[in-house]
Amino acid sequence: MALLDAVTIAKLAGVKVRARAVMEGVLSGLHKSPHQGQSVEFAEHKEYAPGDELRHLDWKAYAKFDRFYVKRFEHETDLRAVLVVDASGSMGYRSGTLSKLEVATTLAGALSYLLVRQQDAAGLSVLGGNGWSDIPPRSAAGHLMALLEALEQLEPKGSTQLHDAADHLAERLPRRAMVVVFSDLFDDAPDALRRLLQLRARKHDVAIFQILDPAELEFPFDDPTLFLSMEDDRRLEVNAREIRESYLEEVGNFLAQTKALCAEADVDYQLVRTDEPLDAVLLQFLSRRQGRRR
Amino acid sequence: MSFVHPWLLLGAVGALLPLLVHLFDRRRPKPRPFAAIAFVLRSHRRTTSRLRLKRLLLYTLRTLLLLAVPVALARPQLLRPGAAGTRTSGPAATAVVVDRSLGMRFRDSESLFERARDEAREALAALLPEEPVTLVPCGPDVESPAAPGFDRARLRQAIDRMQPSYGGADLNRCLGLAAKALEDSPLPGKRLVVISAFTAASLRLESPPPRVKVGDTLVQPEIILRDVAHAEALPNHFLLDVKAEPAPQLGPRMVQVTFTARNVAPGGANEVPAALELAGRPVAKAFLALAPGGTAQKSLSARAEAGGAVSGAVVLQPDALAEDDRRDFVVQVPQELRVLVVDGAPSSVRYRDEAFFYEAALTAPGSPARPTLRDAEAGWREKLTDYDVVALLNVPAPAPEAAARLKAFVEAGGGLLISMGDQVETDSWNQRLGALLPRPLRLVKSAGATGETALRPARLGDVAWEHPLFLPFTDRAREGLLAARFSKYMLVEAGQRSGETAEVLAAFDDGAPALLLARRGKGRVLLFTSTVDRDWSDFAIRTSFLPLVQRSAAYLAGGLDEHERMEGHIGQTLVLRPEVPGAVAEVRSPSGGKVPLRPEADGSLRVGPFSEPGIYRPLDAAGGPALSPFAVVLEAAQSDLTRVKPEALAAYFGEEAVKGPAGAAETRVPLWTWLLAAAALVFFLEGTLLRRS
Repeated sequence: MALLDAVTIAKLAGVKVRARAVMEGVLSGLHKSPHQGQSVEFAEHKEYAPGDELRHLDWKAYAKFDRFYVKRFEHETDLRAVLVVDASGSMGYRSGTLSKLEVATTLAGALSYLLVRQQDAAGLSVLGGNGWSDIPPRSAAGHLMALLEALEQLEPKGSTQLHDAADHLAERLPRRAMVVVFSDLFDDAPDALRRLLQLRARKHDVAIFQILDPAELEFPFDDPTLFLSMEDDRRLEVNAREIRESYLEEVGNFLAQTKALCAEADVDYQLVRTDEPLDAVLLQFLSRRQGRRR
Repeated sequence: MSFVHPWLLLGAVGALLPLLVHLFDRRRPKPRPFAAIAFVLRSHRRTTSRLRLKRLLLYTLRTLLLLAVPVALARPQLLRPGAAGTRTSGPAATAVVVDRSLGMRFRDSESLFERARDEAREALAALLPEEPVTLVPCGPDVESPAAPGFDRARLRQAIDRMQPSYGGADLNRCLGLAAKALEDSPLPGKRLVVISAFTAASLRLESPPPRVKVGDTLVQPEIILRDVAHAEALPNHFLLDVKAEPAPQLGPRMVQVTFTARNVAPGGANEVPAALELAGRPVAKAFLALAPGGTAQKSLSARAEAGGAVSGAVVLQPDALAEDDRRDFVVQVPQELRVLVVDGAPSSVRYRDEAFFYEAALTAPGSPARPTLRDAEAGWREKLTDYDVVALLNVPAPAPEAAARLKAFVEAGGGLLISMGDQVETDSWNQRLGALLPRPLRLVKSAGATGETALRPARLGDVAWEHPLFLPFTDRAREGLLAARFSKYMLVEAGQRSGETAEVLAAFDDGAPALLLARRGKGRVLLFTSTVDRDWSDFAIRTSFLPLVQRSAAYLAGGLDEHERMEGHIGQTLVLRPEVPGAVAEVRSPSGGKVPLRPEADGSLRVGPFSEPGIYRPLDAAGGPALSPFAVVLEAAQSDLTRVKPEALAAYFGEEAVKGPAGAAETRVPLWTWLLAAAALVFFLEGTLLRRS
C-alpha cells in the first residue's frame, strides 16, 4: 500500500483530485484489509417481492418457514452522514506544506467519495466566520460534485464556534445520522466540546478528527517572537524558548482532556497531524469503525 | 583588604554590561501568526512570575560573574593586622620608626609613604592602652625622639603631618635612636615597629642590629617589621648623572648635555622618552633603551636663548618614582661680550696695528667676544654703556670728561683692560685715570730686545695660577705662557693706596708687576704693563696669548669665575663665595622657601642642608640675583630600590621579626582564588539556569 504523504497530497491541486487520490488509496488499502467483505455481510431478512435478486433467496429460511425471504446486506442500509468542517481562522495555520483546513477538506472529500460510492447520503456543514453553510445529505452521484466544490471554496476566517455547531446540528438532524467533525477544536468556550459531544446522546454517531499542525504540538520556536492570533487581535511578545515547556504541558493537557471526553461520550476520536499520510488516517478510521460495528 | 593590581578593578565596569544590554537591546521580535495562541497566552500567564525571577537571577549571576573576574585578576588580599601587643608577656614600650626616604615616594595606586602612614596609625591602634609609644620619622634630618609617652593624639597628628623626604634614610641610625628612646621607659618590655620598604639603600646589614639597654645588659627588643611594599619588587629607572657644558664648537650659545640613566627593574625598557629642557622649555628629545639593571648614556645639544647662567633639566618618562626621573642643572652659557677696543696706535699695515693681535684673538672661533674697533679719538665718543668691556690699547690719557665717563662705566660694573705702549704718558695717565689704575704708572723699563745679549728680555716669573684667569694653563700651556719674552714694560708704583686694593696676578722675573687687577666699584680693571702687539714683546704671537685675551675679556665682564660647577645634594650643604661680602642676603629653594645660610670665617657662606631638588637662587637684599643659581640633585644611590631579601632581613632582625605570627605586621590572605572559584560556580549556575529555559 502506497500511502499518500502530506507532501505528495500538497502537489495535487484542488480538493477533488486530492480527495479522489486519498479515496483510491483507501480502497487499495481496504482490498488488502483482513476485514474485506465486511460491508456486504448479512444485515436482515425481507419477504421476497418480484424483482428481488434470486441469488439472495434464503433457502434455509424457506425450509424453515415455507415462505420466501431474501437476505438484505449491510451496505444496503440507508446511512446519512454529515461532514462538519471547521473553516475558522485558526484552521488556516500551516508550518509545512498543508494547512489544517486543506487537510480537513481533503479528508472530508475523500470520505464523501467513499460514502457516495456505497450509495450512502453525505451532507456538509461548514463552521466558519460567516456562520453556517449546509448541504443536506443526499446519496445521488451528482451530489458528490456539489460537496467537493463546496469544500474547494472554503477559506479560513472567523473564530471557532463549536458550541453553536452542536445546537445547529441538533436542529438540522432530526433522524439518526453520522456526524464527522473536522476541526482543531480550538474554542475558548469552556464547555464547547461537551455540547458538541451531546449529539451522541441524541443517538447520532459522532466521529471527531482533531487536526493539528506539528508546530502546534511541538512548539519548535526559539527566539523572541511576537505571536499573533489568527482569529482576533490577541498578541503576545515572548521568548518562545522560555515558555515551551509550559506550552507543551498545556497542549498535552488539552489533548488528554479532549480524548477523555470523547471516550466518555463514546465518540470516535482521532488526532490528525497535517504531516501524516491522509489515506492512512482514513484507513485507521474505517478499520476502527468496522471494529466498533462488530 | 588591598589589591596587588588595583588598576585592573577598572574592568569591573564590565559588570554593567548585562544592565546595558537589557536597557539598549532593541532587537525586534519576529511576528508569527499562530493558531494555538490561547495556549501560548495561558503558558505565559503561568510562567510570568517564574520567568521574571529567573531573569533576575540570570542578571544577578551574570553581573556577579563579570564583577568577580576583574576583581579576582586585581588579586585582592585580606589584611589581618597583627596584634602588636600580643607577643610580649606584658605591656611594652614601643617606638614606631617610619621610613621617610626618597624610595617611599614610590607610587603604585598609592604611595608607599601613604601606606606607611596607615601602617603607623594601625600600629598605634594595636597597642594596649598601658603601652607608651614614641614616633621616629626616619629621614635625612632624623633627630632623637622623645621618650615613649601616652599622648596618642599628638602622635597621630605627627603622623598626619609627616612627609616623605627627597633624601635617604639611615634605618640603622634611626633604630639606634629609637632603641635609645626606649631605654627611658621603665617598662621591661621593649618593642620596635619598623615601617619601611626595606630597600638596600636604607638598611646596612653589616651594622649591628638594635639593642636596648635594660639595667646593665643589652637586650634585643621585640621587632615588628611592616613591609609597605608587600614583598613586591619596586621597579625603577632614574637619572644617574647629568653633565651640562657649553659647546661653542657647535655654535653660539650651544649647550651640550650628557646624561646617564639607570634601570633597576627586573624587566628592560625600550624607547624610554627623555627630554631636555632649557629655561623651562623642552628643546630636545631622545629615546633610551634600558636593559634590566643596565645603564644608558645619551647626549643632547640645544641652543640657549641667552647667555649667562641658564637653568635646565633632563626629564625621563615618569615611572612609579617620578622624582628621580628629573634632574636639574645650571650651565654657564658664554655670554656674548661686547668689547670696545680703543686702538691707540692704528696702522695701515695690519700686523703693525696696535690692536691687530688683540682683535684677532677676540674674533677667533669659539670666542664669546664681539669686538668693536675704534681709534682713540672715536673711541672716547662711544657710548660706553653699550659695552661690557673697554680695552685701551696704547691709548693716550683721555680728556677729563672722557676719563670721568670711563670711571663711571667701571664703577657701574664695566670691565677695563689697559695695555701700555709708546702712546701712554705716565703723568697724564696718573693724573686723569689714577683712580682707575690699580697702581700709578712710573716709567718704562727696557729689558732688552730679543737677540740682544747685553740686556736679557724679561719673562713672566710669578703667576697666580689658581686665579680663574690662569686656570686653563697647566703643564705645557704654562710653559707657553712663561716662554713669552718682554723687551719693555711699564713699572708701577710699589705699595697700595689707602682704601684700595690691587692684586698682582703675574709678575716678571725681576719682580715687576706684569698684570694687575683692581676692583673699582662693581667693575674690574686689568692693567697689562706691556703691549699687546709685538712692539714691546713677542707675547702676541705666543699660543698662550689667545686664551689669555679671551679669558681676560670674560673675566672683566664677570663671567669667568662662575664657570665652576655648582651642584648641591639633598641633605648636604654648599659653600658660596660671593666676591663682595654681604652680597648674598638669602637663598630661595625651588618651592620658594628660605634655605639656612651660615657665614663662614673666610667670608664664604654655607647654605643648606637642602631638602628638595631643583634650582636654588641666591638673592641680594633687594631680592635681585646675587649669584648664579645652582642646582640641587638627588643622591642617585637613593633611587636604587632593590629590596633586601626576606631571608637577609630574617638573619638581621631575627626569624620571628619577619615570619612570626605576631611579629609579622599583618597576614595577607589571598582572596582571588576564592573569587575565581566563586566565578566558576556562578558560571555553572548561569549555564544550568539557561539550560532549564
